Amino acid sequence: MFVHLQGPWNPVWGRLSLQAIPYQNPILVGTFLFAMIAALAIVGAVFYFRAGPYLWREWFTTVDHKKIGVMYCLLGLVMLFRGFIDALMIRSQQAMAVGPHSPGYLGALHGYLTPFHIGQVYTAHGLIMVVFAATPLLVGIMNIVVPLQIGARDMAYPYLNALGFWLTAAAAALVMLSLFVGNFAHGGWYGFLPYFELPYSPGVGVDYWMWAFQLSAIGTTMGSINLIATIVKMRAPGMTWMRMPIFTWASLSTNLIALTSFPVLMVSLALLGLDRYFGTHFYTAGQGGNLMLYNDLFWVWGHPEVYFLILPAFGMMSEIIPTFSEKTLFGYATMVVASFAIGGVSWGVWLHHFFTMAAEPSVNSFYSVTTMLVGIPTGVKVFNWIFTMYRGRVRFELPMLWALLALFLLLVGGMTGMMNAFAASDYMWHNGVFVVAHFHMMVLLIASSIFGAVEYWFPKVFGFKLEQRWGKWFFWFMVLGTAWVFVPMFILGFAGMTRRLDYVPVTQWAPYLRVMLVGMAFYVVALGFFVAHLYVSLRDRMKNRVGADPWGTTRNLEWMTHSPVPAYNFAFIPRVHARDEWAWRKEHGMANLGNESFEDIHMPRNTGVPVLLGALSFALCFALVWRIWWLAAACLGLVVLVIILRSFARKTDEVIPATTVAGVERAAQDALASPARG
Amino acid sequence: MTHSAENPLHHPEVHQASLSGYVANFLITVLVMTAALWLARDNSLPAGSLVGWTSLLALVAVLVQAYLLLHMNWSKAQIWHTVAMILFVPLFVVMIGLTMWMFHGLYQRTAIAMPHQTMAAPMHPAPAASAAAHTVKAA
Repeated sequence: MFVHLQGPWNPVWGRLSLQAIPYQNPILVGTFLFAMIAALAIVGAVFYFRAGPYLWREWFTTVDHKKIGVMYCLLGLVMLFRGFIDALMIRSQQAMAVGPHSPGYLGALHGYLTPFHIGQVYTAHGLIMVVFAATPLLVGIMNIVVPLQIGARDMAYPYLNALGFWLTAAAAALVMLSLFVGNFAHGGWYGFLPYFELPYSPGVGVDYWMWAFQLSAIGTTMGSINLIATIVKMRAPGMTWMRMPIFTWASLSTNLIALTSFPVLMVSLALLGLDRYFGTHFYTAGQGGNLMLYNDLFWVWGHPEVYFLILPAFGMMSEIIPTFSEKTLFGYATMVVASFAIGGVSWGVWLHHFFTMAAEPSVNSFYSVTTMLVGIPTGVKVFNWIFTMYRGRVRFELPMLWALLALFLLLVGGMTGMMNAFAASDYMWHNGVFVVAHFHMMVLLIASSIFGAVEYWFPKVFGFKLEQRWGKWFFWFMVLGTAWVFVPMFILGFAGMTRRLDYVPVTQWAPYLRVMLVGMAFYVVALGFFVAHLYVSLRDRMKNRVGADPWGTTRNLEWMTHSPVPAYNFAFIPRVHARDEWAWRKEHGMANLGNESFEDIHMPRNTGVPVLLGALSFALCFALVWRIWWLAAACLGLVVLVIILRSFARKTDEVIPATTVAGVERAAQDALASPARG
Repeated sequence: MTHSAENPLHHPEVHQASLSGYVANFLITVLVMTAALWLARDNSLPAGSLVGWTSLLALVAVLVQAYLLLHMNWSKAQIWHTVAMILFVPLFVVMIGLTMWMFHGLYQRTAIAMPHQTMAAPMHPAPAASAAAHTVKAA
């Protein structure tokens, strides 16, 4: 039944053998040592401070949307670091391997990475940055903020929320494991067919890529179901549709995209899996297979996916800009319509990723036009943000700086996106670095919004503000790095440089590549400032304690409750009177409504089942990658068994007694009144 | 968890569940999918009607699952779920319609053999198949 394999296989270990450990490669050995030292430091610290039970009780088994959100953000941050190291390797390789006389090291003919190795590096860079850095960071922030903004106490499905997180974490762990056991796909993050078929990619790299991708897709789909149900069903009384904060609107639109598009990705990857494991011919070049069908299905997901990433970023900008302009958001209704227009149009543009497929001119024209249509709602948003700032009292605090950088990058990325929308010119720069520079503008916009959102909502989650001095150094060095890396990349794109080169044949491009390397040095310095930013903030956390409304001019419901937010979010479910409810309350003298008659609060109970299911899924995918059938069958059976057993669990909820609520509320009030605050 | 600790078994959605419904759903779905697999493996129908029949069977499977498994109906408890599902139908139309349009043009403009041509001669090497496609077009 299974397809015939090249190379050894045995029933116990599958394809796994000692040769799969890349101990000859000094880079990977160094990485392994670094990872082991970091892991030992973390595990050692956990044992030294006896934090194990605390971590298990309060974090690993939590179903609290805020804690799950924080864990999503930590996962995203770790993977962002890994993706950045990959970027550093790509940039340094391309700066070194220019021209036939460039020297080679570590077994490479030019530069220090062999083509097979750099192929894995850029594949991992793309997949990690999109799926394991940006997505967890955005999902994490939505997880934290959306229930607070709509006045809910948790998500609609707290258990599903934890499960979605642990599946995503398992997928990320699988990608990391591929560094040290076996290898990773080496043909680009979105896969090339028929190159990713078993005869042409016989190793386990594509399988690692496929299963990690599949697992994260399942996790993200679960998260999207949860956020949609939360927004539709769990809004506080009085929170009508047109009173919902824009970030919540953006989350709704983005999760509708995720819910509808991620299943397409799962199907496209599953069909590839059938090809690779059972020898079917969905994507093969002959035998009735259609290799363009893969591109079609992948980008049916892929383009909605990029709007899945960008809409929450737009939502974050829509929260930050009014706060620091001390004005209400300009054009609320148009913002809502624009968010949904972007979501809708995202479903009719995907062919622009393969304009050169040789489709009919009418098809290419159709997709050119639909792609340009995206510019209209996006333009509406840009003007709304500008009009929000117009005649506002703009304060250039850190979140606002990041939001403004995002706005600027949106203009650069959007304009070059319009250029890419022309099918005719796309024939010139298809697969060139001009396109790469364009979409890096867009993903850096997302990154900037995320950094802004973290600065903005950090005091709400942790109860103290991040310091501003090192944060501003971090910001400006990120600006420098972005300019020095991507302006030369745009130029090289016009010069005709194609993407994913392991060797650059044109020596005239060398100066640009070196300038880009300087840009990467700025990014490295920025990383140092980021660490300093975090360190100083954590060190001075008692000095920077804040109350409910740390920025003073915030507008939405999440700023009404204490910072840090108590486990139950709101002691009383707020009644909503207006759009920008918190601003409305402050204007109407209703900001400090004390109420002493607290009630019991009904909350979901923590559970370790999601961690277990995450671990089992990880083992299942590992077994599938290495074709260890007995392990895969055992893990799949256990997953089904655990799900069935969990469905019989009766104690899935608990009650926080009114006395506890009263205690927490009083402590928060006292902390506010204490003189320790700066 | 804004609602109080009421018994979730009293929710109207839960009352839609029934063992006979689930068993019927399972049996019909297995039957329909086996039929589709058999049609594809048997490969005796012409390509056009094969696509038509498998699509029809897929539609039956979707409808059966929507009705018997997801309980999409017009009852008061479920009507909004049903309406929400129907609102997603345009997405299917857009995705499948645009894909068919794209690939129709692609097959005409490239030397890739049409599906029924490759299926008629599955053992031929690719150049022969594309040559056959040219002859067909020329004729």
